[in-house]
Amino acid sequence: MRISKITVATATSAVLALSVAACGGGSSGGTEAEKPSESASSSASGPQYAGKTLKVWRLGAPNEVFEKYMNDLNGKFEQQTGAKVELTWVPWPDSQKKWTAALASGEGPDVTEFGNDQVSAWVAQEALADITEVAKGTPDFQQIPQNLWGYETIDGKIYAVPWGGGTRAVLYRKDWFSELKIEEPKTWEDLIAAAKKIQKEKGSDVDGLAFNGGSDANMSLSPFVWSAGGDFAAFEGGKWVGKLTEPAFKEGFQFYTDLVAKEGVSGKSRLNLNSIEIAQRFAAGKVGMFVTGGWDIASIEEQSKGKIKADQMAFFSIPNKEGTGPAPAFQGGNDIAVWKDTENPELAAEYVKLAAGQEFGGRYAKENGLLPLYPDALAEYANDPAQKAFAETFKVAKGFPADPQWAEANDTKAVLQNAARAVIKGEKDVDAALAAANKELEEILNQQ
Amino acid sequence: MSPKLVPYALLIPGLIVIAALLLYPLFQMVVMSFQKVGLKQIRPKNPVPAEWNDFENYTTVLQSDLFWTSLRNTVVFAVVTGALTLVVGTLVGLLLNRLGRAMSTVVVVGIMAAWAVPPTSQAIIWKWLFDADSGIINWALNLLPDWLSSLVFGRSDWSGQPWLNEPLTIYLVLVMAVLWASFPFVAVSVLAGLKSIPSELYEAARVDGSTGIGTFRKITFPLLKPVFSVLIVLQIIWDFKVFTQLFLIAGGTNMPREAFNLSLWSYIEAFSPPPDMGLGSAIAVVLTVVLLLITFVYVRQIVKAEDVR
Repeated sequence: MRISKITVATATSAVLALSVAACGGGSSGGTEAEKPSESASSSASGPQYAGKTLKVWRLGAPNEVFEKYMNDLNGKFEQQTGAKVELTWVPWPDSQKKWTAALASGEGPDVTEFGNDQVSAWVAQEALADITEVAKGTPDFQQIPQNLWGYETIDGKIYAVPWGGGTRAVLYRKDWFSELKIEEPKTWEDLIAAAKKIQKEKGSDVDGLAFNGGSDANMSLSPFVWSAGGDFAAFEGGKWVGKLTEPAFKEGFQFYTDLVAKEGVSGKSRLNLNSIEIAQRFAAGKVGMFVTGGWDIASIEEQSKGKIKADQMAFFSIPNKEGTGPAPAFQGGNDIAVWKDTENPELAAEYVKLAAGQEFGGRYAKENGLLPLYPDALAEYANDPAQKAFAETFKVAKGFPADPQWAEANDTKAVLQNAARAVIKGEKDVDAALAAANKELEEILNQQ
Repeated sequence: MSPKLVPYALLIPGLIVIAALLLYPLFQMVVMSFQKVGLKQIRPKNPVPAEWNDFENYTTVLQSDLFWTSLRNTVVFAVVTGALTLVVGTLVGLLLNRLGRAMSTVVVVGIMAAWAVPPTSQAIIWKWLFDADSGIINWALNLLPDWLSSLVFGRSDWSGQPWLNEPLTIYLVLVMAVLWASFPFVAVSVLAGLKSIPSELYEAARVDGSTGIGTFRKITFPLLKPVFSVLIVLQIIWDFKVFTQLFLIAGGTNMPREAFNLSLWSYIEAFSPPPDMGLGSAIAVVLTVVLLLITFVYVRQIVKAEDVR
């Protein structure tokens, strides 16, 4: 008896975990439902939504600059509508998990920031509200160029509003570069040479050019692949066809894995770090260069507790192979969207209008180190030397396969991360690893 | 109420708790394993009804390459760790029995401290020990004289040696971490068993000229067999479902897939976006069935041999 009971207990512990997620949400309905009546009585005296609270999720790690921006934004919002904002910061690598938990429990945000390449995957999970009318009916949003609404529009409906454009460039230790007399790399060879020099002078546990093998590895890999003329997949004849085995993709992939395998400019023990973890090592003085976005300067300065100041860091565009200009990098961006399960869709829409409108939308991009989407602000940007690296790359930026399943291949199944690790560890040669990855990528993208 | 029914009436509260916390979830897991269940189905607001999908989850599991590597990792890990835990635990138990009162207390307190460390901390401690750049293991290996290191391992430079890339070395670290934390329980259980063996038996053995190993084989082991039976079953169950330590040592959801075991694979399928709880449940059911089969065969043998009364 005792034994069988233990066995049952063991087997069930797994189930318990599964069912916990399902039972969280039920009780909240009652309290939420009472709120409108409360606010209805107060609306006679104050602004329309007085007494209500809006839950907003921002992605990333808060630092002084972002906190100030959010305070200003939320203050203005409260002044306009009377509603308070409950702000939560969600680290980027945790965002998928948090949204999953939010959907499963029904205890989600009202408004959330979103990575634009993730929108379609989450629309497929019915996570986001259709805000076509808000997007079309707000004069400010009409100024955002039409070509920037691609990720957000699915089957003719709009599910998110572009907030800031982002692309990737190389963040480097400016002080080390001038100390070691390294020029800004213009070719792939220069990149390797610079990385090796940093490693030689700063110690073998420093990554000259850090290899990203984590959840956002493809942001670092793609510039090299695209620069060589390759791509991940193409939609041909009604289905996705993997392009990983083509010579151009192979060339970029080979260069990327060689950072560790052949050149050794990034440590062999750090094959699955994502850009957040690399940034932490950067803040500890253990990284010379890595591929990331403009927001990292502010957060690294804060994380290093003053050891690495903002003026010790700078960005350069990832060079293309021949050295004729910047390599195409991921044309990303952050969006703001209304959560489908929200109890206050109108209030949430008001928040989106304010946050992504010309004033706060422009500030959002500027202060986050992102590219503004409003033409006036963008024009101003091209003249700013600190932003040059991004502005130049943005002109040649490209996207990942536009398919709801891409997130699964990119992140959950980590198809290319696994292929890169197999190559670096010498388990497979590049051709075999890419052939296997190609097959898996096609399976994932074409599944229904 | 008739006196015959009283024991059953008293059992009811316990049964209700077990039914609510164990049997219902188990039932739910089996049901889900036959359905297509994702976020759309489990969300509390506007859910879509779950559909039966003709064993699709099970065919996916059995056709996946990951199934065989996960099953292999699970079984090999359980066998190796279980055996090591029992051997080390028994030896330490025998040692404790021989030590004087003061020394024995010191050792018991020491090993129980290791046992009491929460799994999360265990994993992080061992992960740091094996850190490639600043871990003490690589540092210590570098201290070995070069000729010795080359002779034994075929290399003398250990700086930056990654331990947590390959499944084999991940499991090496994992076995140590789990062994370190689980042998104390075996040691103390064996000690308790040893205390109950009458000392006359040992005296008689000594008079007959029995040696240490002989005494263990002929007297200690047979008398402790019931203790070992229970310990073996517990170890199999515990080591089969190791999760926390593996998850943390190998680097979370982005760990090398070749290092998955069944519980980790189940978790990843069920909870990594886009979550597929049906598939995750199917893997969990397979794990449960494998575990039940092993336990069943083993318990039957014990009962046949009439060790358990």
